Parts: sequence; structure tokens; C-alpha cells
Amino acid sequence: MCGIAGIMYRGEGGGLHVAKALIDMLDGCQHRGPDSTGFALYGQAAKGELKLRFFVGQGDEAVTAVERIQKTLAEQHASIIEDEHIGDNYRVVVQFSGDVRKFAYAMEQAAKVISIGESLDIVKDVGKAHEVDERYAVHKFTSTHGLGHVRLATESDVKPESAHPFWATGFADVAIVHNGQITNYWKMRRRLEQRDFEFRTDNDSELIAVYLADKLSQGIALQEALKTSIDDLDGTFSFLVSTKDEIGYAKDRLAVKPMIMYENDDLIAVASEEVSLNRLFPGQALNTKEPPPGSYNTWSRST
Amino acid sequence: MVTIDLAKIPVREANERIRQYGAEGQDVEVINPDARHHIGVGLTAEINVKIRGSAGYFCAGLTDKVHFEVDNNVGWGLGDNIYNGSVVVGGNAGAIAGVAIRGAELVIRGNMGSRAGQVMKAGTLCCAGNANFMAGYMMYGGRIIILGDSGERVGEDMAGGEIYVGGEVHSLGSDAQIVDVDGAELDDIRAFLDRYELKFKGTFKKVVNAGKNLRYATSERQVRSIPFFTFSGETDYWNAKIQEDLYIKSQIGRYRIRGYGGARELPHLSDLAFKKDLSQSDHGPDPVSKVNMYTEIGGINGATPLKLSMPVMIAPMSYGALSRSTKQAIGMASSLSSIAENTGEGGMSDAQRDAAAQLIFQCLGGRLGWNIYDMKRANGLEIYISQGAKPGFGGQLMAKKVTKELAEIRGIPPGIDLRSPSRHPDILGADDLVIKVEEFREATSYKLPVSVKLGAGRVRDDMKIAVKDGFDFVELDGMQGSTGAGGAEVMEYVGIPTVAAIMEALDALEEIGVRDKMQIVLMGGIRDGIDAAKALCLGSDAVGYGTSTIIAGGCIACMQCHVGQCVTGIATQDPEHEKRYQPAIEAQNIHRFLESVRWQIATVTHALGYTDVKQLNRDDLVALTPEAAAITRLPYEPGYRDRHLELKAKVG
Repeated sequence: MCGIAGIMYRGEGGGLHVAKALIDMLDGCQHRGPDSTGFALYGQAAKGELKLRFFVGQGDEAVTAVERIQKTLAEQHASIIEDEHIGDNYRVVVQFSGDVRKFAYAMEQAAKVISIGESLDIVKDVGKAHEVDERYAVHKFTSTHGLGHVRLATESDVKPESAHPFWATGFADVAIVHNGQITNYWKMRRRLEQRDFEFRTDNDSELIAVYLADKLSQGIALQEALKTSIDDLDGTFSFLVSTKDEIGYAKDRLAVKPMIMYENDDLIAVASEEVSLNRLFPGQALNTKEPPPGSYNTWSRST
Repeated sequence: MVTIDLAKIPVREANERIRQYGAEGQDVEVINPDARHHIGVGLTAEINVKIRGSAGYFCAGLTDKVHFEVDNNVGWGLGDNIYNGSVVVGGNAGAIAGVAIRGAELVIRGNMGSRAGQVMKAGTLCCAGNANFMAGYMMYGGRIIILGDSGERVGEDMAGGEIYVGGEVHSLGSDAQIVDVDGAELDDIRAFLDRYELKFKGTFKKVVNAGKNLRYATSERQVRSIPFFTFSGETDYWNAKIQEDLYIKSQIGRYRIRGYGGARELPHLSDLAFKKDLSQSDHGPDPVSKVNMYTEIGGINGATPLKLSMPVMIAPMSYGALSRSTKQAIGMASSLSSIAENTGEGGMSDAQRDAAAQLIFQCLGGRLGWNIYDMKRANGLEIYISQGAKPGFGGQLMAKKVTKELAEIRGIPPGIDLRSPSRHPDILGADDLVIKVEEFREATSYKLPVSVKLGAGRVRDDMKIAVKDGFDFVELDGMQGSTGAGGAEVMEYVGIPTVAAIMEALDALEEIGVRDKMQIVLMGGIRDGIDAAKALCLGSDAVGYGTSTIIAGGCIACMQCHVGQCVTGIATQDPEHEKRYQPAIEAQNIHRFLESVRWQIATVTHALGYTDVKQLNRDDLVALTPEAAAITRLPYEPGYRDRHLELKAKVG
């Protein structure tokens, strides 16, 4: 029950434009989801460094959460390079060289992890696009590509942690935004859980993220992973996935959920509705394309 | 030509101006449309509108006599429900282009998205490029011309109309077939293409309905009906009802269809009692004068509310399932008692509009009888999602009832077993629904309340969606509700009871802290004023009466509503049968029943020590059974059951 958006600038064109574009696109389709808004943004990666973001809340609650996080970081041999408490988030950059999945599961014990990645940073909270931007200064992010999401909460509560994008728990730099409903959720989740994957929510979008990240970690290309996802996932869906260098989409065979895309020499933009794309090009009619049912594709920063 | 700049004014204001210009006979150019939704919705004056750019969802929707030209693309639902006129799109169209159109010519110079022409009734939808998945899905009439390729499953479940494909037919939908095109048809298509300067040299393949699934293969044999009280008894596994059921299934080899509601015993309002011993109270000669019962429904977001002399409405029942005379009588009764009537599925008749002072117009997935003119003369609009007797299923109207006249109003081929779609073409989630609600508001200048009818299923989630999508009130229908025709097992076993539904609904509103932002009209097996008072105590804002009014108006509960040969002239479209029904007399009968409801609500309210029905509350109730107590969380007081039985014995 939502609206999705994704954008990737070719070459060095991203910078401050990515976040700004996503804010505009999400504002354009806020009617699809007034409850919460979120962004997955990919910035510059530094070797051996990981960015982590947690929900810690405010006041005493936040102080104890940050203490727990710092203690667990030390236990995991991750040394803090910089940190910040902003809005309800605690953001920290660490030096780390171990196994990310084990590290991530350990950090989950300390506090609610929003994202972990070399370049990925997810910002999401209750509220509209401009409200979330105001709280977390999203427009100041420098990035190459990113995803965005507006949510209308139905089955789960209006809580910041139920907002999208979803990070693929345990896998650095994989994020997803999804519009629709996966009907074989529990079946697929049990399969992954049997292989020791852990889930932090009951949200079907987290499942898609982990499903894809698992394929990627086996060395399967994103294109191929998206292709199998259309066979493996039942239900209605239009989703966007992003990694350090790629953005991809998949759409269910029944074409129930909308998706529309636009490409030019500078960028690729995908959204639930054309009205979002037009926010980037006011007053200009766009030569857009609606992906057919059961289709998937990826774009890479290098191409 | 006047220019409207959408970079400067919002669509809502632009539409008001376009309507104004239309009335003055001025043409309009819209600049900077930037794919915004609802441009030109609800226009019924002859006008030329040029859109310089791309338009969003429902462009030119719910219109008549308009000519639209869009330079570039359009979003979902192009020309939704348009009657006459034309829409020409220079670029591509999103999904469900030409949804539910009733005439007009729609031309898309680029490609069109999935499910184009879904449930269309008449007119021409022409796409110069390629179509996509399930073009012509459930179409009832009119023609689709595709110059490019058809996409997969073209003509899926189409009941009528023709689809001409110039390119490749990728695959046929279920019950669709390819037939020859004759010369006259070709000439007509060529003339159409010339008119819109579309060049096409090739030939066409014509896709039509294959006729294998329009009627049930075997009809149910008529048997002497078992009286409802025997029918609803569950004393014995192999009773008369089960035997009859097995026998009929042995003949038809499928599930059975019947009228009326479920007959199983379920927790209901009768399992609740008033805490106070009302037999001791003295109501005096005129309790009605001592209690304020006036109730407004639907005004919470600023629309003109329905003004009810008591917290009571008529539940939605269709002209189709019921005869025209019956709908007329119910309408008259609703006016006599100053409450609101509801069209149900299948359109609004003049007789019904004239009879009912306040009338809600219901919109279902098949868009049968749905149109802008009746929307504008309604007092409320309602989006039907499902009904309590068969949540998740579409309506059924057997061929006997699908007469020529009825088929015309609904825009469907006569003589088919009509199985209405269970889903709306353009409501596939809460996110699409919000855009649909907005379209209705745009089309009627934000004056009418827009409600949603929910059959009790996943009430908790549905209620939250209803609030977030901005509905003005919910009609919540429990499992004890009835229907004109439904699968027998579905009626007995699908859904949740009315008391459980209202509890879930209220819990959902509490959970998100918006109890005051939604009104609930509860229905489903409400039989008298006592049931109503209990429903109000539980937290409903009003209640709906369906079956009760039918019975008050002469129904004999034979459960054969689906057959179409109703002996009382109620559930029939056969003029000979309908003759037996006298609307003026039955209207008085229904009115008297409604007045008995008024008296009972007033008497209970007064006896409980209140002066206004809004003071009724949960603390006035107890539960008589453990099940009812578990559902309602009311105190379980079996002692009250003895008092209840004692009273009953006394009354006889």
C-alpha cells in the first residue's frame, strides 16, 4: 500500500541531486502513502569502513541504546570513526573487516538496525517526505543513486521500523522498496530461516531483500536473481532493489501494481506514477515506458 | 480558447473552471499538466479540452459529450465510464485505458497498458501501438481495435463485444475465440481509422466470446422449498436440508446458488441483553417524543451529510435482484420514515430516485449501471468492496432475471448468468483506492459523502484503510446479512458474525486513535429496534435494514430469490410476477415496520434513562452466552438469560 521511487545518475551527475530528486518524487506521490516516508541513499564508500544506522529514540532510552551499541561494537572489534545522534537515529561509521552477517546479527541484539553498508544509508520515519527531510537533513546527502518509499500502513503499525526502504538484514548495501503483497511470504521465509537467515520484521519487503541478497552472495547476478524472484514469489508486486552499483526492478505477472520509468542521457528514474517523474521535469512531457507484466531489468552505474 | 495553467492552480480548482467554461461553451487548453490525476473529471457539457503534456489517472473520466486531446501520455483509467465524445492520446496510456466506458471513441497513438477496456459496455477503444496483458478483460460490449500486437490472454472472460487485432495475437484469454471478420465490419473500422488519420494496411483477427462459460451448464432443478425454520435447524446430520442439497448437487455437479442469508446459528445481537430490567420501566404513551433520534451520517469531512430521523438506513439491495416495484416501495418507505435508501448494484431507476428522498448510489466492480448523471443526482456515493453474506465474492444474477431492459441499464448482454466481478478494475489496493475516492469527489464537486461497504472479513485492516483513504462512513455488513444469490456454502461458512465485525472495527479505530474520524453503519441480520439499540450500544452510529424490510413488504422467505420467479413479485424481473406486488401498499407496510423500529429504539433509550440515542453505550449491555461474552468483552451474565426466557414466556 504505497508509492515507490528510484533514481540513478549516470557518471558523476549524482551528488546532491539524488536525495533532492527522491524528496520531490515522493512528495509527488505522497497520496499513495501518508503514514511514513523513507530513503535508501548510496554515498561514497571508504575501504574497510561501514556505515551503521540504528533507531534509538530520544532521551534516556537513546542514551542506554547508544551505550549498548558502543559496547557491542567494541565486542565485535569495530572501532568508531565518527558518530551522531540525529532525530531518532544513531548513525555511526566504523572500521570493520570481519563477517558482515555475523556482525549485523550481533548488532541487532544491541538496538534496532536500520541499515549497514559501505555506501548505503537508509533514512526512514513516520511522516511525509518533507517532514522526514527536515528531521534528518536528507537533502544534504551526497549520493550516486537511491530508492524512496511512501507508506500507507494497514496490517502493521505506523512505526518508524515498519517504514521502507528495507535493508536486507545481514547483507551490506542491499535495499528494497516494494509496492504490493507477497502471498507465499511464510513459505519463503521458512525456507530462508532453515538456512539460518534471521528476520527482524514480519514485513514481506524484508523477505524480498533477504531473498535477493542471498542470491547475490552466492555470486548470482542481480538480473538473474530478479528473474527467479518472479517465479519464486507469489502475489502482487512492483519492487525496486539497489546495491552499491546497481538498481533493478521486477514486476509480477498480473501487472497489478503500477510502475513507470524514464531514461535520458543523465539519469534513469522509476516511480509508481508518472506524476512523480514529472516532478523532476516540470512542464515537460516525458517519453516514459511502462514495464510489461512479469518483467525485470537492472541498470548499473558503469553502463 | 481559454488557457489553464496547472503549475499555478490545483486540479480541483482547474476542474471547476473547466466545468464553468464548458457550460459557457468555451474550449480549454491545459498547460503544465505534469501527469496530474483527475484532469477533466465529471464534465457533462460539450467542450474541447487540449492537454499540452501528459495527464495522470482517470483523465476525462466520468464524462459525457467531451472531446479531449492529450499531447503525450496518460496514466491509469483513461476515459473511465465516459458516455459520448472522444479522447485522443498522442503517447502511451497506462493500465485499464477505457475502463467501463459506455460509449465514445478513445484513440491511443502509442501503446496501452494492461487490462485495457476492462468491463467496458459500449464505444470504441483504439490503440495504434501494442496492447498489453488481458486487453478486453471482462468486457460486456463495444469494440477494441488494436493495430499492433494483442499481448497475452486477450479477451479474458469477455462476455460481449469484439476485439480486432491487426498484429499478432499472443494468446487468447479463457472463453475467447478468433472468428472471421466480415466486409462491413472492416469498412467500418477503416472509416474509423481514417477519421483519426491512423494508417493501417493489414488485416484483422477478430476475438469474441466463445460462449462456453456465459451460463451455468446445468440449471438447478426447482424443488419444493424447505421452510426457513426447518432449513435453519441443525439437529440432525442427515436432515431434509442436507438430503436436498446432496440430491441437487448430484444433478448439477457444482456448488449451489440460493437466495437469503446463512441459516447457521451464530453469536448475534440476541445473545446480548440490557443490564437494566426494562420491563420495570414506564415508557408512557409516547416514548418517541422523549428521545432525540436525529442522526447525521457522512458529514465528518465536510460533505453534505445524510439526515436521518433515526439512526437507521436501508441496506443496499439491487434493482435486478429485486424488482423495480420493490425498490420503489422501499424508496417510498424510506421517505415516509425520513431515512436513506441505497441503490445496491445495478444502477438507479427513475422510479427509485423519485421515491427516495435520500438515496445512496453504489458502485461495484462491474460498474453495472454506474454513470455520471446518476452520481450527480444521488445524495451519497458508495464504493462496494464486499458484502457480509459472501465477502470476497461478486454478485450473481441468473439469466432468468437478466431481461432485455435490465441488461440495457446494466450495459450487458441479455440472458447471461451474470457473475459480477469480485474486484474493481481500478482498486487493487489502498493506494489505488485513494485515487478512486478522489475521482468521485472531483466528479461531484466534493459535495456528496463517499462511503465504503465492507463485508466482514479482515475488518481490522479494512477499517484502517477506510480511514486513511478518507471515506466519510463505513457500511459494515456481518455474516448474518442476506443476498439475492450466492453460493450456499459461502453464505453458511464465509465471513464473521455481525457482533464480531463491529468489535473488530471499533478496535481498529481505537488502535490508530481515530474513533471520532469515522462513522459506522452496522448491518447484517438486524431484525428490530431492539437489535438496533444493542448495535448502537456497542458503538455503531446507525444500523441498516435489508431483509427485514423485504419481509415487512411481503417476502415469504422461500429462499428462491435467485430463480427469478418470486411469487410475491419481489425477487423477479418477470412483469407477470411483478404485477402481484403493489408498491404503494407495500411501502406503507415497510414504513409501519420502520416506525415500529423507531418506537422500540426510543423506548429502550428512554427506559435506560437517556434522552438521546447517542447516549447509548456498552455499559448498558451484558452477554448471555460465553461466546458472545468472548467476542464483545461484555460481562458474561447467564442469570440474565433466565430473565430473558421468563419475559419471553410471559409475552407468550
